[in-house]
Amino acid sequence: MIDLWNQLLQGFITAGSPVNLLWALLGCTLGTAVGVLPGIGPATAVAMLLPITSKVEPTASMIFFAGIYYGAMYGGSTTSILLNTPGESGSMVTAMEGNKMAKNGRAGAALATAAIGSFVAGTIATVLVTLFAPLVAAFAIKLGPPEYFMLMVLAFTTVSAVLGKSTLRGMTALAVGLAMGLIGIDQISGQARYTGGVPEFMDGIEVVLIAVGLFAVGEALYMVLYEGKTVETQNAMSKVHMTAVEWKRSWPAWLRATAIGFPFGTIPAGGSEIPTFLSYAAEKKLSSHKAEFGTTGAIEGVAGPEAANNAAITATLIPLLTLGIPTSNTTAILLGAFQNYGIQPGPQLFDSNAALVWALIASLYIGNVMLLVLNLPLVGIWVKLLKIPKPYLYAGILIFATVGVYGMRQSAFDLVLLYAIGLLGVVMRRFDFPTAPVVVGMILGPLAEAQMRNALSIGEGRWTVFLQRPGSLALLLVIVAVLVLPHFLKLRRAKA
Amino acid sequence: MKGLRDPELAIGIGTVLLGAGLAVGATQISSEAGYSGVGPNFLPWVVGAMLALCGVLLVREALTGGYREREEPSGAATGHWAGFAWVSVGVLVNAALITTIGFILSCSLCFVLAVRGFKSAEGRLDLSLRAWLVDAAVGFAIAAPVYWMFTQLLAINLPGLTASGWL
Repeated sequence: MIDLWNQLLQGFITAGSPVNLLWALLGCTLGTAVGVLPGIGPATAVAMLLPITSKVEPTASMIFFAGIYYGAMYGGSTTSILLNTPGESGSMVTAMEGNKMAKNGRAGAALATAAIGSFVAGTIATVLVTLFAPLVAAFAIKLGPPEYFMLMVLAFTTVSAVLGKSTLRGMTALAVGLAMGLIGIDQISGQARYTGGVPEFMDGIEVVLIAVGLFAVGEALYMVLYEGKTVETQNAMSKVHMTAVEWKRSWPAWLRATAIGFPFGTIPAGGSEIPTFLSYAAEKKLSSHKAEFGTTGAIEGVAGPEAANNAAITATLIPLLTLGIPTSNTTAILLGAFQNYGIQPGPQLFDSNAALVWALIASLYIGNVMLLVLNLPLVGIWVKLLKIPKPYLYAGILIFATVGVYGMRQSAFDLVLLYAIGLLGVVMRRFDFPTAPVVVGMILGPLAEAQMRNALSIGEGRWTVFLQRPGSLALLLVIVAVLVLPHFLKLRRAKA
Repeated sequence: MKGLRDPELAIGIGTVLLGAGLAVGATQISSEAGYSGVGPNFLPWVVGAMLALCGVLLVREALTGGYREREEPSGAATGHWAGFAWVSVGVLVNAALITTIGFILSCSLCFVLAVRGFKSAEGRLDLSLRAWLVDAAVGFAIAAPVYWMFTQLLAINLPGLTASGWL
């Protein structure tokens, strides 16, 4: 415990240096802006800025990226409360009640409970990360390649099969991502695969290109094709303030939601859609103001999902840092950022890069305070961002997309590829294919393959190695359960 | 039965073809396995098979009433292809010219063309000289600071028209 305290203190000293504080502030500000603006999310923003990894030192840039990541969660709630379109997917549920509240002249209260709830949940979740991440890392260090491979397969399964509506479309997206990950030099044998003689393909495809293509260029192309005539209405602002009654109704919702959100973030079932929906359902069931839900807007329905979102987002750092397994788009890109520095997140990270990890965790505490300040008194400034005309916003996003992709490899070929991935993004969005499996598949695929081949080497080529070790056998059973149980339940419900 | 023009069917077939392509490519990769018993060609075969299987299942869903539980896509029912063409040309022109005319000019050009597309999607395409100039100025005002921030502050290489690092 003393040890933990000392390390955290060291982290605060590193993260509290003026330069790092500046990076954190920059990240939080940019993240809030990105969360507020439609058409660009945290994953895209971090991806576009990945080129800075070649010049900025790791601690500073990870603090910066983390600031963007959870800053976007704060900003996203502003957009979902004031506009009828959520800024990012985790805010979808907030939009349901938040919009109703705003329409009834209570936008200020909704914004306040969202920001304070995010702060409470984010801070509690950060404390839990501080306490549990080292424990998970200490446990994970005992895992061998077979267990790692199974954990990664579990992540693939949950990201692609469980989260979306259709297992088939999720699996298709995953396969496309895995195929993209195959391009380039095989890590173990050094053989070139699927390069077609194109020298640009030898180094593989950058995750920046895929993320920016799918999300930024894809979004812009979708916008011009289908959303040109979509009219957005903006709700009127009111004073950002909560009454004593509203405080009393928000508190329990924040705490319950943190308890729901955090566990969901830690297991490789990433994304914050499920916990936000669960929290919404829980609040609706427990509320003594049921009549307000869906009519005038219930404050619990904003407080809960918003807190659950932030708790889950913070908790996704546990699998990322301790196991090296990303469970969402943004964490997949953060993993890419670590890889650019030649750092492989995983249990060893807490030994080999202790200073970096603890500075990052400390920066989460600092960032949450910064974001509370940025979002409560200054919310009026962010609302002005919503006034940027759509054509300028989306055309501007294309410029930033160019910087991110070109800055990474200095290749004009990549810009053509970027357009092609953008087209893929349009098709996927139009036909309701999830995109997270593509990004997670392409970045985790090569790692999973290496673990699989190492595991088989341990088993001298026998696949039974995955069954003989209790850890990997247990994980295998979990994977089967995750795949089969939902269908089984559906069948039973159909019969009943 | 919607016939071959059904895009859902086309996506399914495309997925099968992609899987087949991966399988053909996999035959070119050595199977030298070492201790593990599986070589660098193993995963390509698995992914190829996975894509082909998914493709076949997508085709089946497309032919038997469409994709299951597909959410209605947001926005208009038909695409606005004229605007799409403006934006596409903008992005591709940028790719073609960035190394010759430099980041700032190339991105400003991309910006102007893309803005034409987005405005035409909103039904207010403006091709007057004034609009071109205003948009070009806005594009320049975004691209130039970005360029300076990356080249001067972060020392990241972006192509310029001159070697000065300012344009």
